[in-house]
Amino acid sequence: MKHAPPRPPGSPAVLIKTLLIDDERIAHAELRRLLAAHPEIEIVGEARNGDEALELIAKNSPDLLFLDIQMPGMTGFDLLGQLDEPPQVIFTTAFDQHAVQAFEASAIDYLMKPVAPARLAAALQKIRQSSTSLPRLDQVFVRDSERCWLVQLADIVLLESEGNYTRLFFAHEKPLIPRSLAQLEERLDPAVFFRASRQHIVNLKAVERVDPGVADNLIASVKGGHKIEMSRRQSARLREILSL
Amino acid sequence: MSASAPHDFAHESRGWRSAYWICQVVGWGSYVTVGLAMVPADARAQPAVIGGYVLFFFYSIALTHALRALIRRRQWLSVAPGRTALRLIGAVAAVGTIQAALIVLVQAIWTWTPPFAAGPRFAILMWFNTTAASAFWITVYTGITSLQRTRRARLHAVALELGMREARLQSLEAQVNPHFLFNCLNSVRGLIVENPPRAQDMVTRLANILRHNLVRRADATEPLADQIAVITDYLELESVRFEERLRTRIEIDPVTVGCRVPWMLLQTLVENAIKHGIAHLPAGGEIVVQSRLLQGTLEITVENSGSLGPSPADSTQIGLANLRERLRLLNGSTATLDLVALAPNRVRATARLPHDPTLLNSQNNPPPPS
Repeated sequence: MKHAPPRPPGSPAVLIKTLLIDDERIAHAELRRLLAAHPEIEIVGEARNGDEALELIAKNSPDLLFLDIQMPGMTGFDLLGQLDEPPQVIFTTAFDQHAVQAFEASAIDYLMKPVAPARLAAALQKIRQSSTSLPRLDQVFVRDSERCWLVQLADIVLLESEGNYTRLFFAHEKPLIPRSLAQLEERLDPAVFFRASRQHIVNLKAVERVDPGVADNLIASVKGGHKIEMSRRQSARLREILSL
Repeated sequence: MSASAPHDFAHESRGWRSAYWICQVVGWGSYVTVGLAMVPADARAQPAVIGGYVLFFFYSIALTHALRALIRRRQWLSVAPGRTALRLIGAVAAVGTIQAALIVLVQAIWTWTPPFAAGPRFAILMWFNTTAASAFWITVYTGITSLQRTRRARLHAVALELGMREARLQSLEAQVNPHFLFNCLNSVRGLIVENPPRAQDMVTRLANILRHNLVRRADATEPLADQIAVITDYLELESVRFEERLRTRIEIDPVTVGCRVPWMLLQTLVENAIKHGIAHLPAGGEIVVQSRLLQGTLEITVENSGSLGPSPADSTQIGLANLRERLRLLNGSTATLDLVALAPNRVRATARLPHDPTLLNSQNNPPPPS
């Protein structure tokens, strides 16, 4: 575990606090050298395994992780799955066909080792865009059997409980994640996410229409063609919220 | 391609079979038609003549079909051409004779007259006629068959070549672990700045390994000494990556270095020890490689820190299975490969091979029949 040297004079005002996580010392040194060309990157620490990384993340709350996938004890995926509020991530991997497949469809970036400087610059450019255009939003790391995503909570239109698991609906995806709906509800902004029923939480910004159903119950039509029938109590609550 | 080849063959042979029957019917049918046309009109009206021709049509097909079955069962067309020609001439004479005899017999029975009442001239004429017809039949049959054989042989050769190319590609992948290769290259990139002499040394060792693994070889075995050289380079490269996390010990009995062992044996075991042992341990561990001769058996062991655990369904199992299969092909049941947990945090792979100098020093020897 190493700590960053003091910030050099003349560095840019907006620094991206970055943590390097890799089990190989030489890989750290190599990445550090590559990142020297990017003064906005402030390396706040280096971790050699998942446990060290968890400790450093708690201590330094970095904005960005360079995360190796293959590590002893805990893989990069395992580590990310343990974080309640994962920062931005750039995965690094030597050769991992499955991992690459997992990234192809998602917003998460990855670099193949040895890292090409141009490819690194492109990945950082993406990070800069997403972190300057809007304030960093809460996101959740989602890994389905074959693919993975770093999902902005605001992009989720609907959460559906399936026992101890929850299915998330966003874009055209609907992966199942190993967390209960109640666990997720704690992290969600109650002004945006509304508990519509025992099974469902809907993103109010994604509700396209609300129709009356049987009795006093309401039926919410959510983006993507989902129709959620609400209980009488929740219907009353929604009326209250919407009338405000 | 290799998967669809059998289907192509089956499809093709169905095509050949119907072509064969069409040729039979059309061939003998036209022979009979021409023969009937040449018979004087008044004779043609006789039921004995027409009936004789119709019967001739059927038993000719039956006879030549039986001849075809004989040719195929005895594989006449696969043996030396000289002997085949003699057999075919004999077969043609036999078929022609039987046909002529049947013609004479059928006519005698039908008209109820003694067989050679009109003298032998008719029978001799018929014999020449039918023998010529069956000679024609055999010529066409062997011609088409050899054409078909050539086509098949060419198709087979293509399928074989494709299969071999595929196998070679697969083995390329198995021979260089890409994860190892790219991690190595990443370390080299780092060391070029940090420690140039070490980077140079790494490149040389990596070249040694690639040369050993990628060069195509005719023999399935190699001296143990060669494999020790490879794993020494391999472990040296891995210790650049793992640094203090990897400790190694190699204890080779000098009398074993000349023993021939299946290609990649030691490397597969050591790679597994890293991949499933050391790489999973944050604090790292030790790898011990040993070889010795015990009562005529060469014993090679690779011990590593780590646990057997539930092995992920990836290339290891395939790697070990391949290795076992190669051991079996080379040495029969006398060679074994075991993977056991010595302790909760220690795993040992043991390969045992019969140390028969005549067997181990020869190349590509099949196992002796047991």
